[in-house]
Amino acid sequence: MRGAAPLALAVVLAAAGARADENSDLNLIPEAAQPGAAGTPAPPSAPTAGAGSGRLYLEDTANINVIRSPLLVPAPPPPPQDWEERLFFDAREQWKLGDGLSADYSGRLNLRASDRIDIPTHENIRHDFREGYFTWTPADGLFLDAGRINLKSGVAAGYNPTDFFKTHAVVEPISQDPAVLREDRLGTAMVRASYVGERASVIAAFAPQFEHESPVFSYANLPSFDPTFGRTNAHPRLLLKGSFDFGADIAPELLLYREGANTRFGANLTRGIGQKIVAYAEWAGGEETSLVDQALGYGRATGTIPEAAPAVLPDSGRKSFRNDATIGFSYATESNVTFNFEYHYAGDAFTHADWRTWFTQGERLQAIPGVDPQLWYIRAYALDIGQPVSRQGAFLRFDWVDAFVPKLELQGFINVDLFDGSQFAQLEADYYLSNLWTVGAIAATDLGTRHSDFGSLPQAASFLVKLARYF
Amino acid sequence: MRQAILVLCLALATASAHAQTPQEIVAKADAVRNPGKPFRTTDLLTEYVSGKPRADDSLVVYSKEDPATHQFRNVVHYVAPPRDEGKMVLLDGHVLWFYDPSSKASVRISPQQRLIGQAAIGDILTVNFAIDYTAALVGTETIEDAARQNRTTWHLDMKAANDQATYSRVEAWVEQGTFYPIKLKAYSDSGRLLKILYYRNFEQRLDSLRPSEAIIIDAVDSSLVTTVKFGDSRYQDIPEAWFHRDYLPRIPAE
Repeated sequence: MRGAAPLALAVVLAAAGARADENSDLNLIPEAAQPGAAGTPAPPSAPTAGAGSGRLYLEDTANINVIRSPLLVPAPPPPPQDWEERLFFDAREQWKLGDGLSADYSGRLNLRASDRIDIPTHENIRHDFREGYFTWTPADGLFLDAGRINLKSGVAAGYNPTDFFKTHAVVEPISQDPAVLREDRLGTAMVRASYVGERASVIAAFAPQFEHESPVFSYANLPSFDPTFGRTNAHPRLLLKGSFDFGADIAPELLLYREGANTRFGANLTRGIGQKIVAYAEWAGGEETSLVDQALGYGRATGTIPEAAPAVLPDSGRKSFRNDATIGFSYATESNVTFNFEYHYAGDAFTHADWRTWFTQGERLQAIPGVDPQLWYIRAYALDIGQPVSRQGAFLRFDWVDAFVPKLELQGFINVDLFDGSQFAQLEADYYLSNLWTVGAIAATDLGTRHSDFGSLPQAASFLVKLARYF
Repeated sequence: MRQAILVLCLALATASAHAQTPQEIVAKADAVRNPGKPFRTTDLLTEYVSGKPRADDSLVVYSKEDPATHQFRNVVHYVAPPRDEGKMVLLDGHVLWFYDPSSKASVRISPQQRLIGQAAIGDILTVNFAIDYTAALVGTETIEDAARQNRTTWHLDMKAANDQATYSRVEAWVEQGTFYPIKLKAYSDSGRLLKILYYRNFEQRLDSLRPSEAIIIDAVDSSLVTTVKFGDSRYQDIPEAWFHRDYLPRIPAE
């Protein structure tokens, strides 16, 4: 008993000390968050069932470009814009039509002006019809869709070999961030059947051909209100894909894609490693020709390149089994930053030898009319179909939420050509002024020597500011 | 004599604690926060910066206990602010997916990404702490709750028992008798105090008295405080298919 009393006293004193410390935490709760304080929000009620749901916003962007001159291989017209101003209204809406039926629309109405576009012309106004489709749900987990649909595939952040419907679909994005490119693109007219169960999902999509191939558009010849189905429905396309969960974090997605006479296979896989890392791999493979063959063939088919014009780069037309792949991982820190590191491989793209030929031909044949356009057309074509120009690349991306101050989000990425070390880098800052207003800025630059992938591009840098109002 | 009474009180308190194992205390506190049946709730998050309300987020959380693990699976649907409307997060075990309707793409995210942002998604997910943590009793303490009322609590120290736990370590204060969760403190892997959380306003919700509000204090930057009001709670049948990532684009809009 003589020993127990001091012990009990010590415990009581320790508990009292801890209690005082614990209670001091209450001082951190602001007055405005106390019950009954003025402006305290009411408890949430059921979200109002409106006629539609989605996202509407109005955004204004102004950008200037720093043009590189002279170029080792001069670029064909139209010359790059020095500045551009765009005001657009972006809408994504879904309406329930009753009894398992719904309708979706997604699009953007643009007003734009630049130093290279006369006012007024039809180029000052443009509508991007991204999506418009109906969905019928005849049974739980079974969905039938018909209309223009953006069907995405892939698990990687920088390059998605299995995203087969990305080709020719991106429309004048304000940012080169791959996440934005996935957003600013046209869907494909198709019928799609999906079944999603507890451990598996199966999707079958068929897109018919009903237009001829569209040329690769530039900022100067974009159609105003034409939905340009020639970009998305110039060939019959079929996609079958299934995802199966085998447990133990093994849930691969397998894909079979057929476009015209070409068949490609694909696979996606992700796996968590501890608390902070997600590893992923994406692969697509099939018989196809080289990027040069594909580009020159497309250019001839759309009348951009004369049939009789000799090819400036070897175009054997030979098909072989080619692989495209991305392997990478994301890593999240305790400081609100998420990184993505990726290695990209595009089996149909330029090798080191192809690049040497591209520059050699570009320097040698500058005086021959019609030759430079072919060289640049190959690169424009690759950009248009969402393929890298170089066979091997590296990609690093970061996203920092509440960077330095609350509500400031910084995002950036670097694309590196592993043959010559040249880079495209972009940094974006968005500050959420309120629930309805966002202000932001983007800076981008192409870095490298004149004999490099990114260093040879006409655009040295670009700067953009933006202001968005959400509704 | 006074010393004897003091020791007797301590002994009684200790005996009371030992009537329940620490893990049972945590499980009963879980049952106060979460019912056993599938349910949905609408969470209104208000972020305060230096004492001033800065932004509101609204999310609908669909929760269903996995019969195999007894842990909850969650689907979170962003309702507001307008720029985030329609975004989704799926949590199934330690697998998380984020879906953005604008890009129509699902991205796998790591458990650490649950904790990103002032109003972190990890703080509004429905979880059973008793599944993810191993608890030890620190002692009995009387602390003030969020309304500055004294509560006699069990002070528990909980260590992550698996890699699905949101935090590496959590201290919890659970009221004796009612098993009301009063306060939590959450720590990172490195032992840094990340968040202090108070529950308050215990009201009739989903057939029982449950907290209708949480206050989350950012311990790293204490000028950042978030309140979470839980409303529109109701039982809802949630099909198993909702927890497949390909179902995220199909979950009905609110």
